[in-house]
Amino acid sequence: LILLDLLTRLAATLLHAVLVFALAPLLLGLVNKLRAWMLGRRGAPLTQPYRNLLRLLRKATLVPVTATQLFPLWPVAGFLSISITAMLVPSFTTGLLTAPASDFITIIGLFSLARAATMLGGLETGFGFGGAGAQREALFGVFAEAALLAVVLSFVLLAHGATVDGIANTFRAGHIGISVSLGFTLAALLAVALTETSRIPIDNPSGHLELAMVHEAMLLEYSGRSLLLLEYTAMLRLMVWMSLIGTIFLPFGMGRADAPLSWLGGLALWAGKLGLMAAALSVFEISSAKMRVFRVPEFLGVALLLGVLASVFLFVAARIGS
Amino acid sequence: VNNSFAVLAGLPGQGMHLHLDALSVLFLCILLPQIVAGAVAGMRGSATYWAFALGMVLALLAADAFTLIFGFELMSAASWLLVLRGDQKPATFYVGIAAFSAACLIPGIFLPASSIAFVLVALGAGAKAGLAPLHSWLPRAHPAPPAGVSALMSGGMVKVALYILIRYAFITFAPAAQPWWGEVLVAAGIASVVIGSLRAMLETELKTMLACSTVEHVGLIAIGLGVALRAKAMGDPALAALGLQAALLCAVAHGLFKPLLFLGAGEVKHATGTTSLNWLGGLMRGMPRLGGLMLLGAVGMAGLPLGPGFAPEFLLLHAVIGAAGAGGILARIGFTALLAALGLSAALALAAAVRLIGIGFLGRPRSLHAAAAEDARLAPLAAMALLAVLCVPVALLPGMVTGALTPVVMLLVPQADPLPLAYAPLSLALLAGLAALAAGFIFHRWGVRGTREVPAWTGGFGRPPAWLPFGDPHTQPSATGFAEPVSRALARGVLAPGGADPSEAFFFGPLFRLHMRCVRVAERLRRATIRQRLAFVFAALVAFLLALGLGEGG
Repeated sequence: LILLDLLTRLAATLLHAVLVFALAPLLLGLVNKLRAWMLGRRGAPLTQPYRNLLRLLRKATLVPVTATQLFPLWPVAGFLSISITAMLVPSFTTGLLTAPASDFITIIGLFSLARAATMLGGLETGFGFGGAGAQREALFGVFAEAALLAVVLSFVLLAHGATVDGIANTFRAGHIGISVSLGFTLAALLAVALTETSRIPIDNPSGHLELAMVHEAMLLEYSGRSLLLLEYTAMLRLMVWMSLIGTIFLPFGMGRADAPLSWLGGLALWAGKLGLMAAALSVFEISSAKMRVFRVPEFLGVALLLGVLASVFLFVAARIGS
Repeated sequence: VNNSFAVLAGLPGQGMHLHLDALSVLFLCILLPQIVAGAVAGMRGSATYWAFALGMVLALLAADAFTLIFGFELMSAASWLLVLRGDQKPATFYVGIAAFSAACLIPGIFLPASSIAFVLVALGAGAKAGLAPLHSWLPRAHPAPPAGVSALMSGGMVKVALYILIRYAFITFAPAAQPWWGEVLVAAGIASVVIGSLRAMLETELKTMLACSTVEHVGLIAIGLGVALRAKAMGDPALAALGLQAALLCAVAHGLFKPLLFLGAGEVKHATGTTSLNWLGGLMRGMPRLGGLMLLGAVGMAGLPLGPGFAPEFLLLHAVIGAAGAGGILARIGFTALLAALGLSAALALAAAVRLIGIGFLGRPRSLHAAAAEDARLAPLAAMALLAVLCVPVALLPGMVTGALTPVVMLLVPQADPLPLAYAPLSLALLAGLAALAAGFIFHRWGVRGTREVPAWTGGFGRPPAWLPFGDPHTQPSATGFAEPVSRALARGVLAPGGADPSEAFFFGPLFRLHMRCVRVAERLRRATIRQRLAFVFAALVAFLLALGLGEGG
């Protein structure tokens, strides 16, 4: 029976990995499509990101003469660290085989690893735009990581556990209720997610002006397979963040890995959550403009403040409750 | 392990007593690879270096206060001589701090267990370890001597000071322990962490930057110790064990990757004649082996997962979260702010490590010396490789290392029951391997193979002229430029005006000015003429008689 249980969980984990890796480009296509619709355009087909990746797969990989031998390694490092998080963050069920390793702090560390790899890739060729992108990314990372840790503290205090899986399980049980703290953490986490996935208002993913780029500026010298990995990593990162927010704030109705019948409901709910968040993201993106670089620390500073306030409210509530 | 020896040298009639327990064995294990690496890297001919190492070992082995002070002061004096040989100016500052440290430590360890004794020991050991606000000598003195000594000072000497702090705070003074002792350590630690990581991001001199990063890591260790000390005094052995595991593992990891980086910085100096990041660049091409080892050290310094620095960071963050989960409301809010500040400094440390590798070793050379650099000499490379090999178990099997730390934790907090580590790098590496296999299969099956070397696109600019073979150095960001956004957003709030260290601007600066004023007054007294002196004596007599008369009358 234990073996059967293990096999079911293995199947759920495999299904999770296949779906997350396969659907990441589709999610980006959906966001782009929705945004185009809202702007009154027809937009590229949903499968356009797949075509872009396929095109890159068939292109030659160029290495600048001023780059060092490590040039092709940074995209690989970024891709591997984001793909580990993709396997750790649950999507449609809880209780995956990777659940014990899905500690929130490990996930934060893996995001940092991916950020460091991208920054080093930007500095690699030694030209102005890549360096400018890397130094802006360093600035954003400083505030984003502080805000993220403050948010994690309130999750851990509410759920009495630090794994994403455990947090989802506790929040699903439903005796948390809706509290001001959760609202604050949601706002702070969204701000960090926009920064990490380099969306408007922090960075413009479809911008073509090198001076204003942040994430794209670090990719400018890459081509072929390396560029494929970098672009795919960006898609995967969007997927991971949406799954993470969906798992924590909307865990109701998620399946259990050891009960295959509950997967269907979980899958439908996951698709619904992703669609909802894609729609929300595109509405937010068309209704706001990109910020100046030095406004971003203020934006993330508000997120940090909200994260700290969420924990303070929890302390006050515990004090009044006791 | 519980062994005592007596040596027939030292105080007349008493001798010196040596003693080995789990704590001193752990710190000896931290120290030994660094001493070997420093000796291999080129210091083995120096008698002062061996005196320095002997002093440290003696301080760790000491069973009585005299031996402890003797070893500690031998270490201070020898390291002062070594610093003096490198540079005169920081040596004076350094010897002043060392004297202050001894002046606090000697009365501290002879006093009975009490809060005064703890404060004195914390001041003495903290000044020597580089805890804020007495840290600003460290970025000045550590870069001065040759690389082997810098490595041992940064990785070993600060650990000896922390060892004394741990031994006295957790064992000798245990009966009088108060929760606020831990809070003091946490406050000093977080100040060191924030200032150290920010200065590491802003400094352009490679060795100074590494010394600032040492201040940061000492702060991290102090936070772990502070959380543990507070939890122990408040009767929470589980949290105390977690904080101690974090602090001790951080000491182990820092003792490996920081000497590695310092030895590498020495080799950079040897190959290019400078350690200023603004004159380096592209070293990975000429010095691939050194570059690879430095990359490993930088991964540790940044605390990235799958590197040696992540497990301590992981444990420390969990300890702080645990401390924020219980207790009085003000303390809980304080620990929340502490967590946010730790996140800020972790990202700053990451940016500093990226800057070290990205500006120094990647990109285009910024000077002809950097372009012509050749790979490091064999002996320092061997020393660095030794430290790098020892980094591997700390990076990939941190659970085993924390398991080996259990006797030390049990010695310091007897009721503790240390939990196994929840971070398993090997399973993460397994997941990464699976993803790499899948990606490799796709590339192999459908992708176009091979790469082609082309001139960089660089935004469409033309080729550089022939007399600039690596392009114009000013068209790539410098180390100063890379830190500029962070400096603009943070330095004004945290550092003193002009980017000076707050401890120098607000503590040592006024102290120095007061000293100068006193010197001036004394000089004027010394130069007084005979009439002035007589007038002074007469005025004093009158004042004394007046005071006496008024006292009698009242």
